Amino acid sequence: MATFAKSTEISSRVRSAANAWLVSCIIVGGISGAYMLYQLTSVGHAAFNTSSDGVNWGLPIATYVFFALTSSGLSMIASLAMVFGFKQFYPIVKRCIWLAIITLASGFAVLAFELGHPFRMLWAMPTGMQVASPMFWMGVFYTIDLVLLIIKFYLIMQDDWHSNLSKLIGVASFVAVILASGMLGLLFGSVAMRPMWFGSFTSIYYMLTAALCGAAAIVVTTYMAFDFDNRNMPDELRALAESDQLPKVFATLIGITLVMIVTRMWTGLWSNLDGLEGFHVLIRSPLFWIEFLLGLVLPFWMMLQPGMQVRMQPQMIAAFLVLGGMFINRYEFIVSGQVVPMFKGTWVNSLEPYFPSTTEWAMAIFGLAVALGGYAIGEKLFHLSATPNHTTQNKLAGAAA
Amino acid sequence: MAKWGMVIDLEKCTGCQACTIACGMENSRLPGEHWQDVIFFQEGEYPNAEIKWFPRPCMHCENPSCVAVCPVRATYKAEDGQVLIDWERCIGCKYCMIACPYGVRFYTEEKATYGGPNMKDVFKSEDAHSWSPPWKMPQEDWKHGVGVQPHDVVSKCTFCFHRVSKAPKGTVDFDPQNPATREYTPACVVTCSPGARFFGDLSNPNSEVNRQIAYKNGVRLLDHLGNKPQVYYLTGEGGSVPATRSLKKI
Ligand code: SF4
Ligand code: SF4
Repeated sequence: MATFAKSTEISSRVRSAANAWLVSCIIVGGISGAYMLYQLTSVGHAAFNTSSDGVNWGLPIATYVFFALTSSGLSMIASLAMVFGFKQFYPIVKRCIWLAIITLASGFAVLAFELGHPFRMLWAMPTGMQVASPMFWMGVFYTIDLVLLIIKFYLIMQDDWHSNLSKLIGVASFVAVILASGMLGLLFGSVAMRPMWFGSFTSIYYMLTAALCGAAAIVVTTYMAFDFDNRNMPDELRALAESDQLPKVFATLIGITLVMIVTRMWTGLWSNLDGLEGFHVLIRSPLFWIEFLLGLVLPFWMMLQPGMQVRMQPQMIAAFLVLGGMFINRYEFIVSGQVVPMFKGTWVNSLEPYFPSTTEWAMAIFGLAVALGGYAIGEKLFHLSATPNHTTQNKLAGAAA
Repeated sequence: MAKWGMVIDLEKCTGCQACTIACGMENSRLPGEHWQDVIFFQEGEYPNAEIKWFPRPCMHCENPSCVAVCPVRATYKAEDGQVLIDWERCIGCKYCMIACPYGVRFYTEEKATYGGPNMKDVFKSEDAHSWSPPWKMPQEDWKHGVGVQPHDVVSKCTFCFHRVSKAPKGTVDFDPQNPATREYTPACVVTCSPGARFFGDLSNPNSEVNRQIAYKNGVRLLDHLGNKPQVYYLTGEGGSVPATRSLKKI
């Protein structure tokens, strides 16, 4: 009876936290979305600060990449329990999958507003079948990924965690997500004429940093769901939150990311190859240092301290910093790769300046609001903390509410 | 099947930009959206500094990276070697602009490139065209990227597809001095007063373009990238093409 009362109380607190999020997201998303739509209908894509002379892909593409990779990372974290059998991660699986669906949808939404003719894609891609294009495969793999995520979520909603079908979908989804994030990396890594991106490294880099973003996102949203208070959590989840399991995964991923960033920077600054000048721009940019020191080094240090690993606040701060740092990282990665202009007219600068326009900022904010709002809806409707063991208790809580 | 190619003799080129203007008029280009441009750059430092230049159309590459990356096959290599864009397929993803090493592609929806009023606002279009120039050439063929383009697509030099494709079968050299081929010759070649540009069939060993490449040692821009341009430069004693893209502009 005591358990029943506790879970009822938790459910209502979770709902009220989610309500608050939802309302703020609707307001913020509504304003930024309205502004973006107004600009896109009145000015069109000329409202962007991107240009044919230099930076062709700006903040909206960086936002898409950020969301798509965060989604992939969340699926990878869910696979820890669903595919690799680390049972202690079950309490975050359902939330991971819902978030993966929502972040991918937000990414697609931002991309659709960025593209010149998004609807044309629906018929032109299947009829064109340009199998040489990394963007074609990225589209294919992310679509498969989204479908599998939805099936996986549906199965969990049916309380099917362990059936053969569920296992099969779990494995397929893991493979899809590796292919999708890797392919997104290859979209940049294939183009030799942009040497700052060129090489299979970009693919590996995207997969591993996807996992990092996924880990950070799940830490933030789990605490968010329980109103930033461990005591509100169901026991199983609290046990995970207060153990050093997730922080250890998290610290490892930050460490790997740091190594990748430093080695990439080294070769970039060292080499004289035409087109690598962007690295010199990058290292002089304050944004890069904010990303590197605040967004990665500090959280890495925090998550290595035994005293901090198991406490909520440091975990939260570290995860927030990493998410912010990685957002800058996506932006810097994409923009700095394009600052060396190709052969354009006589009036072009040696290196191209770029700063996002208000419309581009509005798109990024809109994407964030859709993601957080969609997450809050999930929290309200789908009982995201469900685990295989707590089925009965969950049902009771659901019925009582 | 021909393999159209162009040769630009940098010893003869005076950098006058007549080709840029002719291309703009022929293809109804916006100011700043120059499918063909002449790029000036500095070589060396004082006291050995020199100003150099080279005209830059689309290279209509043999291995066009823009074609390979296009997710919807809007950019394609035509039978006779031109690389063209189907404006009815293009989704405006700009991946081709990322993948072209020569910076020859333009996205329609952009801020005016340099000072002065935005011509798209001054000459607004009432239909699907992105703008309505006060005077424009009559040809329009969106499947081959010819004419005033619609909104939100990418455009670039077509090697004057609308002229060249009408040439009688078997034409090898397009000589603007020859009345029989003049009207089929690309506008930039016709207008070039020092006669620095040649256009013809690269697959025919006896063509004028091949002769020029052989006698005057034709080179291709950024050849190490492997795109294999079908535009060759003759550098001779006076001209040069840059080896890198982070040029000192003049
Ligand atoms: S120059 Fe650029 S646009 Fe032209 S064919 Fe080559 S890669 Fe394509
Ligand atoms: S912008 Fe158009 S032509 Fe270029 S890659 Fe995208 S769909 Fe193809």
